Amino acid sequence: MGVGSVKEVGPVQAEQMVLNIGPQHPSTHGVLRLKVKTDGEIVSEVIPYIGYLHRCFEKHAESITYEQVIPFTDRCDYIASMNNNFGYVVAMEELMDIKVPERVEYIRIIMAELNRIASHLLALGVYGLDVGAFTPFLHMFRDRERILDIFELTCGARLLYNYMWVGGVSHDLPRNFESICIDFLDYFEPNIPEFNELLTKNKIFIERTADVGVMPAEVAISYGVSGPNLRGSGVKWDVRRDEPYSIYNKFDFEIPVGTGEYGTLGDCWDRFWVRMLEMQESCKIIRQALKTIPEGGDVHAMVPKKIRPPKGSIYRRTESPRGDLGYYIISDGSEIPFRMKMRSPALTALSVLDEISAGWMISDVIAILGSLDIVLGEIDR
Amino acid sequence: MTSDQDTFIADAVEKALAGDMDAINSIEDRSIRGKAKAALVKAKRAAKAEQKSESSEESQGGGTPEEKVVQSSLSALLSSVYPDEIIEILNEGKVVQLKPQKWNEIATFFRDHADALLDQLECLTGVDLGTEEPLQVRYNLHSMKHRHKIEILINADRVKPEIPTVETIWRMADWFEREVYDMYGIVFTDHRDLRRLLCPEDWEGWPLRKDYEEQESYHGIVVPKVKEGWE
Repeated sequence: MGVGSVKEVGPVQAEQMVLNIGPQHPSTHGVLRLKVKTDGEIVSEVIPYIGYLHRCFEKHAESITYEQVIPFTDRCDYIASMNNNFGYVVAMEELMDIKVPERVEYIRIIMAELNRIASHLLALGVYGLDVGAFTPFLHMFRDRERILDIFELTCGARLLYNYMWVGGVSHDLPRNFESICIDFLDYFEPNIPEFNELLTKNKIFIERTADVGVMPAEVAISYGVSGPNLRGSGVKWDVRRDEPYSIYNKFDFEIPVGTGEYGTLGDCWDRFWVRMLEMQESCKIIRQALKTIPEGGDVHAMVPKKIRPPKGSIYRRTESPRGDLGYYIISDGSEIPFRMKMRSPALTALSVLDEISAGWMISDVIAILGSLDIVLGEIDR
Repeated sequence: MTSDQDTFIADAVEKALAGDMDAINSIEDRSIRGKAKAALVKAKRAAKAEQKSESSEESQGGGTPEEKVVQSSLSALLSSVYPDEIIEILNEGKVVQLKPQKWNEIATFFRDHADALLDQLECLTGVDLGTEEPLQVRYNLHSMKHRHKIEILINADRVKPEIPTVETIWRMADWFEREVYDMYGIVFTDHRDLRRLLCPEDWEGWPLRKDYEEQESYHGIVVPKVKEGWE
């Protein structure tokens, strides 16, 4: 080799490193393993490995009766069990053509919206933790506790309720429920501006989340991302309004969408902000429902003795706190489901992670993952 | 007494049909209330059957008038462009069963055609129709712009199940097809990353098939069987 000969080299690149995050890691919100390929600190690919919490919900459902499926739906998304019950019973009632008493519809909506607030409180609080803010988490958990108290008062359980039945609910509302609920709302609503001061408008928080993990609307729709994540990208889509089920069309509420106030439309901050606004809308719905809820009547009036849906199939989706929660139920006319499929909104949210986190730093992947608000129980089922 | 009871029940049912459920709910006697409810269900079913025969005369049923137009036009659009690919149109045009061969092409057409614009794949479900029957995949499609829907069914052979992938058309299908592969063993041809999604990669068998039998052991761990006395 002579002096002065230059060896051809390609573009400068650091050695690629593979980093495993999880399965046991506080920022993965459950048991999730992320295989992150990095170039220096820049992430080039994220491969999620799921299934650690797979409990064969769909297989089990094929050997138990329709009533017995309800507790399983609780355990799929344990953060928003009421909403999971709700989706299932709405699909079943549509399949069996049951019209439930109006009071039951009101009770269900109050419970579902309370659970939506509780779920969003957890999502927002834990998101603060993910990006390094400890205090808001405690504030939000304090308030979530009060919602769980209300649930305990109503049906005896704090997390897994088995509350909504096909054709009704398990218990009528307890005495004084209205005043307890109003008390809570009066206490809770003024706290939202406090959360905003603590976290939403915090300079460090904005630096960590604005412009990070931008998800354009087309990408979100193509990946089937739904709920607050889709609305964070500016798409005004809400199953409660666009494909109304139960009696949601009776209530007046806004559908908040992301605006890219501090960065680009569809960034982590937008997704966070949509959830914050949605809590306010849920409060609005609960207040309206409490005002007009009809008195009296048996909440078990339309509960069938034996659930035996006619032969056929149905796909029905509802708006859970995480997005479009769908149930595909196929009945062969017997007491046992022929096929039960749950379309998990968190699964689609996780599948988009690789697409939107390539090119960001490792610490941003944690911020992006947190902003998608996944629940592994629902992803693995 | 019995004729009294019958007229009483008939009365209550009539009121309930008019929308006043309390007429039945307020009946004190449990057995009479039960009878009244049964009569109500019967009456409703009869009314529904009548409605159905009426609507079938009008050719296309279901929902509001706008919905009717859109629903029929989606399956009509499909039958005008791909007449040979359709096996059966079911449920007043809301469900269409297709042959698998050209599915990828039809899917692209569905997503991009101005009258269809089915940009959202709502759900992708695998079904085992029974041990003697074929496997099936069901696609629920939805358009965010036109707000219309259609369901596509595609059968796959039990022994060598293959269906073209739509993973690049709707990105959501990527993981959902992996799940169907995981649970039913249906191979989505040309899928770029067809691995098991929920089960471990070296798991044997296809768990959601009706004739599935668990493997004896997995890496030296005995796989528990359904225990005696379990329902």
